Amino acid sequence: MDSVFVHRNQESAPPSKGALAGLRVAIQPNISVVGWPTEAGSRALARYRAVEDATVVRRLRAAGARLCGSTRMSEFGFGLKGSRAGESVAGREADAELVLDLMGECRAAGLRVGVCAYKPSYGLVSRQGIVGLIPSMECCGIVSESLDVVRRVLATIAGPDEFDFSLPEEPPPDFAPAACRPASTVGVLAEARAALPEAEKTVFESALEGLERAGFSLRELTLPDFPLFPLVHGIVGSVEASSSAGRYDSVRYGLRAPGAGNWNDMYLASRREAFGTVVKSYLLQGAFFQFERFASYEDACRIRARLISGMDLLLGQVDLLALPAPGSEPSDGRLREVCAPYAGAMFANVTGQPVLCLPAAAPGGGGIQLAGARRGDARVLEAGERIMNLLRRD
Amino acid sequence: MEFEAVIGLEIHVELNSATKLFCDCPNRPGDEPNRNTCPTCLWFPGAAPRLGRAPLEKAALLSLGLGGELQPRSAFDQKVYYYPDLPKGYQLSQARLPLSRGGGIEITDEAGERKTLRIHHIHMEEDVARLVHQVEGRTPVSLVDFNRAGAPLVEIVTEPDFRSPFEAMEFLKALRTRVRYVGASDCSMDNGTMRVDANISIRPRGSGELGTKVEVKNMNSVRHVGDAIAYEIDRQRALVEAGEAVVLHTRLWDPDRKATLPMRGKFEGPCVPDPSVPVIDLSPEWIGRMRERLPEMPAARTARMAAAYGLSDEEARFLCAEVEVADYFEAVAREGVAPRLAMHWIATQLLPALKERKLDPGRSPVGPVRLAALLGMLAREEVNAGAAREVLLEMFDSDEAPEAIVGARGLTQQSDAGQLEALADQVLSQHPEAVQDIRRGQGKAIGFLIGQVMQASGGRANPRVIRELLHRKLSIGDEPG
Repeated sequence: MDSVFVHRNQESAPPSKGALAGLRVAIQPNISVVGWPTEAGSRALARYRAVEDATVVRRLRAAGARLCGSTRMSEFGFGLKGSRAGESVAGREADAELVLDLMGECRAAGLRVGVCAYKPSYGLVSRQGIVGLIPSMECCGIVSESLDVVRRVLATIAGPDEFDFSLPEEPPPDFAPAACRPASTVGVLAEARAALPEAEKTVFESALEGLERAGFSLRELTLPDFPLFPLVHGIVGSVEASSSAGRYDSVRYGLRAPGAGNWNDMYLASRREAFGTVVKSYLLQGAFFQFERFASYEDACRIRARLISGMDLLLGQVDLLALPAPGSEPSDGRLREVCAPYAGAMFANVTGQPVLCLPAAAPGGGGIQLAGARRGDARVLEAGERIMNLLRRD
Repeated sequence: MEFEAVIGLEIHVELNSATKLFCDCPNRPGDEPNRNTCPTCLWFPGAAPRLGRAPLEKAALLSLGLGGELQPRSAFDQKVYYYPDLPKGYQLSQARLPLSRGGGIEITDEAGERKTLRIHHIHMEEDVARLVHQVEGRTPVSLVDFNRAGAPLVEIVTEPDFRSPFEAMEFLKALRTRVRYVGASDCSMDNGTMRVDANISIRPRGSGELGTKVEVKNMNSVRHVGDAIAYEIDRQRALVEAGEAVVLHTRLWDPDRKATLPMRGKFEGPCVPDPSVPVIDLSPEWIGRMRERLPEMPAARTARMAAAYGLSDEEARFLCAEVEVADYFEAVAREGVAPRLAMHWIATQLLPALKERKLDPGRSPVGPVRLAALLGMLAREEVNAGAAREVLLEMFDSDEAPEAIVGARGLTQQSDAGQLEALADQVLSQHPEAVQDIRRGQGKAIGFLIGQVMQASGGRANPRVIRELLHRKLSIGDEPG
């Protein structure tokens, strides 16, 4: 069995000061740390070592956190095949782990090992130094047993970055529980409920009962476009991936297939060998939409804008939304099977809103997702803490 | 059937901002290979592009200088193509939302008519790395120099308004003048800071339809652009007259064969927005500030200088064709030199001397103040024109003031009629036949005699005084012995 860590930080840890003093944080090898292997789980980056620290790494260190190492990840963090994300926390080797969330992987990883997982609002956390695949959707998520730790890590890594101009310049919101009006109403989407397999319905319903016991009032809402989230994610995400992954071309780093007679052959042979089946299928899907069905891509971008405003409208009516937790991946699936369990999780990557995934929100172990408005991270975390406290008492 | 050509140009201009487009590396492609690089312009995984203010301002000024309208919102896209000069597989380019739309340049066509050639849009993009092909031992290797990677480019895309190679060449010359005026680039086709592609098609004269176009690349001078377009028009006309179809493709100009040759097609697809690069939102205030920074452009300067200095339109246009020449002229005029004298000396003496030495007017070893000092001596008749020309040439190799050179070389003009009279008498006695000619009414011989006196003075005599002297002597009939 492969170990959880692909790289362990061997440097001795001097006593530290700061907001995260002494906190042990694991990362994935798609987050750049100078000198650490940064292969992002892909042969396309074989033997690549980062030459500069990611912004999140610099900020964690500055706050006194100890980087304990990087954990085994799926190729570019897409799906969880081969990933050991979350296990560093479950095995008490780390207090928190940063896990990339492209379509719900961070949330699914937390659920898998029974701890909290949080995907922050898009645009809060710098992507400088993050080796990614879907620039407009991926986000560095945080896995931890404690929401207080999640909040402290988030407060450390969030905020404008002189090295990532894509972040808004405004300072990040205050994440302290006292800084927000606590949530009282929670919306439940009829379409998300309807899409659940029969077996999972009971789990979800009992999780909702838990929310009511915690004092939230539930309201059923509808978003008829909800089933379009996976479709939009599949088209826009794969096109972005296909285009952005052009940089993994074996010219400067990564696996280069031997024996190619010319440049074109080198590209073809290297990329054929470097990428795994799932990522390769995803890139081909993106290339198809980019070069053969570009109008569909443009439609998907327009629908994405509509979905975002639809979600905004709903979150004007309630404080939070409750959705079923992502399902679990088959151990060895093709692209379609890998993506299927995330159908109910992709919405947050499409809209960029924050989501907290709580494990064992229902008796019997089912989890739940709590989603807030973009940059409404404080309210999501505050509500999550109240629910966790209640669960502990029960 | 009579055909007409329909031509549009795509012009890449490399901006001369101090830094690259998406990082703070020096924008000096000519330095020692791979010296000016960082993770961003090496396109390493995880490195984020950060649009620089300096290249954006240069691109904005260039757009305004060409009459373009800066767009409130523009954005970068990923333009996918695989080639080792671009080891991230896509170039950041403003494919959908360009920085500027519209604009144009007025030229004078072959028939002498003023004609405006319109610009469709101007967008920014990053340059790619430079490939160096070498042989190590007997193995051919390709090396990549990233100094140029991420250098800021603008692409100027014109409307298909051009009908002849002449118009294309006039447009490029005027464009180069304007871009140099705003200081955004030196626009040298020779060293690659301006690269021109031409899209050419033909159609029956009077037809409103567009024929199938062929793109021609690889011209490295304005003259080559004209030659390549002319060749391509002839090639297409011959095809159509032979009943063959023109096929959409790209050709390369071969200056040695003076012909265009087909090149292998490049894979290109639609562009995808890059969310890592924020959209560029330009406020009306910012655009207003850029407008204020725009220098006086060639047409306005030509009109002002013609009026202010009493120059002809042609003279003013000549001076304003290069911003450095116009600046130089005005600096000389500010020193109190008569404008027409300054214009004459810059055009006939200074510029040819600079050209011979392969120097820019902006870096002339003889600055405007020193030239003005020399022309002042000329105007005060302290030195004559011939001697002044000699002094000017000497000033190119010396830091001395013109007064010092004139003094050291003994070139001070002789205007004293008494001293010159002896020389005149001597010349008249040596050339009785010329004197005879003048008496017979052949006035031209006076020039010969002036030249002889000048020579006898060692080039220092004041020609005006000699002329007066000779006229007086010859008309009063004081015949020499």
